[in-house]
Amino acid sequence: MSKFEIGDRVTVRNLPALFHTRTQGYTRGHTGVVVGLRPKWVIPEDEAWGRYEGRREPFYMVRFNQRELWPDYGGAVIDTLETEFSERWLESAAAENTAGKTP
Amino acid sequence: MNTSHQHTDAHTPIEGRDEAIEFEILETAVRELSIAKGLFSAEDHRRFMEWYDNIGPTGGARVVARAWVDPQFKQRLLADGVAACKELGIDWMAPTGHGTPSDFTWLVACENTPKLHNVIVCTLCSCYPRPLLGHSPAWYERPNYRRRVVRWPRQVLAEFGLIIPPDVEIRVHDSNQKTRYIVLPMRPSDTEGWSEEKLATIVTRDTMIGVAVPRIDWTTTSTPSGQARAE
Repeated sequence: MSKFEIGDRVTVRNLPALFHTRTQGYTRGHTGVVVGLRPKWVIPEDEAWGRYEGRREPFYMVRFNQRELWPDYGGAVIDTLETEFSERWLESAAAENTAGKTP
Repeated sequence: MNTSHQHTDAHTPIEGRDEAIEFEILETAVRELSIAKGLFSAEDHRRFMEWYDNIGPTGGARVVARAWVDPQFKQRLLADGVAACKELGIDWMAPTGHGTPSDFTWLVACENTPKLHNVIVCTLCSCYPRPLLGHSPAWYERPNYRRRVVRWPRQVLAEFGLIIPPDVEIRVHDSNQKTRYIVLPMRPSDTEGWSEEKLATIVTRDTMIGVAVPRIDWTTTSTPSGQARAE
């Protein structure tokens, strides 16, 4: 069962990045919309260590408006970027808002 | 493109690295151990590399051309890219059972429309739809493209000579996980009546990365010098 549905607004968590994560720094703390659901795959945090039978999580394709990612984005306001996250990296944007954004 | 050696003075020594980097040493060690253990032979390895180096973007062009002439195939391609490729004999799992050295789980065809232009990148490394396009171009692997196209896509596309009007959304696809992408460009309007085979000739590599759009005067066999002579 996936935690998020298509259309949900999600914020990328800023989790510790001690080892391999595949979650880009430029997405962390930013909010986008789930546009695609993927089956459960081994998360890169385990796969990177050869633990192919490691933790499996649903993945989500998230679409960001470029102005959300880059406050001084100089292109068109309609421009977007899509990229993927495992479930652990996402939280509901509403929950994130009530918790307050960490600086 | 690293062609500087060809254009400098012929007597200038070519600068090379004397020492192998760690990954080269690791690759050599694993390969030689595998051969010694009988997992595969040196010739098997050579054949794989020869095959792999020769994949090229022809498969991608065939997929795009089929999608242009067959709306039902296009729908299947948009729904399940890996399955649609297999219809054309392009098996993402071949020949190893787990594909080429480009791990993947999903293929998404990103359809360009009059209001949407797609471009692909991998900011983490150089993830690329290899079964469809072969090796990625050198610039695709360089940090310059990877870090800038997510940040300034319009400027980077303009550097490739592609100006996208401001009322057309640019959507960057960053292949950070296991989804791979191919851009499904728009069919040029002046190609009515063209056969699928002829259409495939204008679907060049860069049009499927999204840094160019197909043009009827630029085919997979066009040469820049030929164009210059024609002018």
